Amino acid sequence: MKTYSTLNTIGWQVLICAIVLSVWQWGHDLHTTLPWLVPDLLDPYFISKPSMIWSNFLIQSCLTSKLGVVNGWFNGDFAKCLARNENNLWAATAITLKNTFFGFVTGVVSGFIAGLILGRSDRLSAIFQPFITAVNSIPRIALAPIIVLAFGIGDMSKIVTSWIVVVFLVFFNTFEGARSIDEGFTNAARLLGASEWQITRTVVIPSTMAWVFASLTPAISFALIGVIVGEFIGAERGIGRLIIESEARGEASGMMVAVVVLMLVGVVLSAIIWRLQAYLLRWQRQRSAE
Amino acid sequence: MSALETSEALASHSPADRRVEVKGLSKSFQLARTTIEAVRDVSFDVRRGEFVALLGPSGSGKSTVLNMIASLIRPSGGEILIDGKRVVPGKATPDVGYVFQRDTLFPWRTVGDNIGYGLELAGVPAQQRKERIAECVAQAGLKGFENAYPSALSGGMRQRAALMRTLIVEPQILLMDEPFGALDTHTKIDMHEVLLRIWEREQQTVLFVTHDLGEALTLADRIILFSARPGRIKDMFTVDFARPRDAVKVRETPRYAELFQHIWHSLGEEFVKGRSA
Repeated sequence: MKTYSTLNTIGWQVLICAIVLSVWQWGHDLHTTLPWLVPDLLDPYFISKPSMIWSNFLIQSCLTSKLGVVNGWFNGDFAKCLARNENNLWAATAITLKNTFFGFVTGVVSGFIAGLILGRSDRLSAIFQPFITAVNSIPRIALAPIIVLAFGIGDMSKIVTSWIVVVFLVFFNTFEGARSIDEGFTNAARLLGASEWQITRTVVIPSTMAWVFASLTPAISFALIGVIVGEFIGAERGIGRLIIESEARGEASGMMVAVVVLMLVGVVLSAIIWRLQAYLLRWQRQRSAE
Repeated sequence: MSALETSEALASHSPADRRVEVKGLSKSFQLARTTIEAVRDVSFDVRRGEFVALLGPSGSGKSTVLNMIASLIRPSGGEILIDGKRVVPGKATPDVGYVFQRDTLFPWRTVGDNIGYGLELAGVPAQQRKERIAECVAQAGLKGFENAYPSALSGGMRQRAALMRTLIVEPQILLMDEPFGALDTHTKIDMHEVLLRIWEREQQTVLFVTHDLGEALTLADRIILFSARPGRIKDMFTVDFARPRDAVKVRETPRYAELFQHIWHSLGEEFVKGRSA
């Protein structure tokens, strides 16, 4: 197989970005001359365009005023701008991140523990199996309005929505992992004198880890989805709220800024998971020298 | 009756000498709707410090017998005594070490941590553990690989590490289920050397399951030959080569050829039966 240099790969990636951004930025300018080539969807009214998104970003993040003048840090303009809008881009990102984090962590921890317990007990898994299948058949997002109704428009409803989409994902992966543990490992541990708890700690948990991690990258995206949907339905702050507000004003740029911020947040969170996984599952990387 | 048979010799052991006693052991499995009789009425004793090979074709129930002694499988009938105490299925017997056919090193632990696992379970302090691990690593010829993960090791190295993981807790009885079955001939003979040296020093009681007659002759004091399914004891042979043995040189003696030929025919019959069954 032919190998390509990293530079070559990066070159292609830059080129693709340039093409997409260019079409986005200038594509609709050709609409009047070449109407058959340019779909209506490229209209900046719907999807905005990179330059408008950028300037909107600067305004929403209080880096510039609405007239495009840079808000000074030392003269207090920046702070004043932030204070004027309690759901400014920074505050909205922070609140969405915070709720995503709590939804993710509670979902992962509870899903992991439940998966481990049921995965290790034939009795319990036999009892709970139909309930789990039934609840899992519900599209979790459909519960979001009920959750907002029950927990109010504050942070709690976002955390619960996020938790409910994450917990099942992690649960099923952990459950499968705990079921598929190599009996040779548990036998070896038992014959070396391990107690049940020692087997759980030194064999079951580490060998289930690979399964759990396989679910964490989707889980973090799901956690974010849960929070955003919760914010769509009812919230005072957060990125989802920003999107809804911009939509009400028919402001595509505002929505796009929120979407781009969400994308960046998602990328950063996934990268953190990847690093954690690479460290905790480092034993999987070394391949045989044979 | 074979002149090599040792049933009379066995009867002369004093009861205190008997480390492992297997009495009328049998085992049937339920597979779909048919019952498979894996082991039928197997009885034998193993002396303290004796190296016994359980030899037979695959499906002769020798591994099943070993797993019952190891408490991994519940017998359908009969009983097993270790030092006069009954083996309870599902409960590990102290002092009994087990080496699996497939090395079951934990892939998420380094070689050193794998070897030290048993000490960790027993709550041996870290410093002491480190010293013992270093000894075992040296003994297994794994110096420089302590911090590698098992996936980076060759089959022979992995099996040596697995052997050390069992031996570090100093079991007095060693159960081995075709531990070198997956290794190539040269690596296998290397492993025989390693095992012989350890056994000569520690004098554990060893029960070694194999289908390789050469291996059984090289290592064991006594060979218990199993018949094809259902597994029964077909014959027993004393292997009287002098100790300490050299795993390579022993194969070149006329006595080895003689014993090999003698047992080979008996074993061969069972292989044929096993195939047609």
